[in-house]
Amino acid sequence: MKRIVCLFLLLCFASVPVAFAQDGMRMAGMSHEPELGASAAFDAHGRLWLVTARDGHVLVQHSDDFGKTLSTLVEVNQTAEKIYDEGENRPRIAFGPQGQIYVTWSHPLAGPWTGYVRFVRSLDGGKHFSAPVTVNHDLAKITHRFDALAVDGHGRVVVAWVDKRDEVKAKAAGKPYLGAAIYYSWSDDDGRTFAPDRKLMEHSCECCRIALAREPNGDIAAFFRGVFGDNIRDHAFAVLRTDGKGVHPQRATFDGWKIAACPHQGPGLAIGSNGVLHGVWYEASHGPAIWYGQLDPGHPPTHVLKIGGPGAGHADVAVHDHDVWVAWNQVSAKGYQLMLRVSHDGGDAFGAPRAIADSNVAVYSPQLLVHDGRAFVAWNTANGFRLVAIGSATKDTP
Amino acid sequence: MMRRALVLLLLCCALPVLARTTLLEPLSAADIPALVKPPARGERIIALWALDCAYCEPNLAALVKLQRAHPRDVQLVLVATDGPGQREAVAARLAQMGMTGYPARLYAEPNPERINYLIDPDWGGETPRTLVIRADGTRVAISGELTPTQLQRIEP
Repeated sequence: MKRIVCLFLLLCFASVPVAFAQDGMRMAGMSHEPELGASAAFDAHGRLWLVTARDGHVLVQHSDDFGKTLSTLVEVNQTAEKIYDEGENRPRIAFGPQGQIYVTWSHPLAGPWTGYVRFVRSLDGGKHFSAPVTVNHDLAKITHRFDALAVDGHGRVVVAWVDKRDEVKAKAAGKPYLGAAIYYSWSDDDGRTFAPDRKLMEHSCECCRIALAREPNGDIAAFFRGVFGDNIRDHAFAVLRTDGKGVHPQRATFDGWKIAACPHQGPGLAIGSNGVLHGVWYEASHGPAIWYGQLDPGHPPTHVLKIGGPGAGHADVAVHDHDVWVAWNQVSAKGYQLMLRVSHDGGDAFGAPRAIADSNVAVYSPQLLVHDGRAFVAWNTANGFRLVAIGSATKDTP
Repeated sequence: MMRRALVLLLLCCALPVLARTTLLEPLSAADIPALVKPPARGERIIALWALDCAYCEPNLAALVKLQRAHPRDVQLVLVATDGPGQREAVAARLAQMGMTGYPARLYAEPNPERINYLIDPDWGGETPRTLVIRADGTRVAISGELTPTQLQRIEP
């Protein structure tokens, strides 16, 4: 018996330093296998910016030759911290009207599904960044993650995220609560301070990205997966009011996909200068499907088109004048294809799908970018970042 | 009495050791044919789950209960769709859920889409996903937290 006791104790004590070392690594946000979560955006001068994360640091790079060469990496957070940079979580980047650079990300806390939304800015063209601040004023150690970032027509910095404070409150009172909620905040002073958290909608999906786009009047609108009725995971549309007026989220897709699950696929949104709301989304009520439609909040979308079936995922949409682009990943046993469909009549009719790039290593969700009327797809891959130029409008004519 | 207390103390000390012995094997594209090959008897339940998915924990618990009710006819394999960068977090969550006694896999690619497709082309990646492969080669695949009726349906 004594011998067994000794052996046990030896094993236990021998394991302790290892366990601490592993925790330390995790606390520092270290990871030996980099994740692919990345965002890219063009600034007003056509400079491409890329934001990624590695070893607990959010990293910014830029390119003046459409992604062929990238500048050296700038660490936006000096002190390493854990960063959500996989799946539907990725660091975000946006620009203010005077060239301000804004970056957000979600920072996991100790417990499962927890997080804070973090923000930094650079006022010197990306050479230096401010110390990170937490955007969410509610500091309970619960879900505040899946951040989305945009700048409105007045230069306000708008940040939206998935938030579980209402779920936690309901469950503490012994009441059921489906899903999470969408909250948002904004800054009127170039990101120095943020307004108190504001609720956009209760009963959102817990694990899907939020799509933000600017309306013709400069307001920021959101398209996101909600939970309607008994776990129906259709989408909602809402304008993120920053003028003190009430918010009016409305159901915008009506597929009726009822499921107690995490779809891990949020929608995409682009708004035309004519105010048309171009949406793409995933649902699986009759097998996996990606859809395009023009949103008519409160009613089913119009011009609905099935973009892809099995193996199609993570679509994005962009619009410029009469051109509408839809890009998505198509997976097969061989690997990934980056697929594209183009419309030249404002989304009434689309040309045939075609592959514009492929990869035999893992890729991230494609992100459509428009600069000077030309569209590009930002595609982060395990072999490096790619900016895929989409041919001129005439070449894409179906 | 003394001896019982000692055993209890030792068990407590040993818990972190046991938790860390979780065999969390990577699942690459090349491993999928073996994973989905029909078992010699009964059925294999592939419980696909993800760190982000709060519905997955009760679903895994229900599948463990089902496996314990049919230990000879149900093989349970836990497959996390998170990528290799989440290895430590997945191992920690399995330990926290008390799920260390089952074969556990973790996707070997940082984007789950390809492995999802190879496991089941009619699945868009939502979790939890329960894939049942029976000895006769038939399959049942269900997305979402299993209802009592669905749990009955997948019993051997």
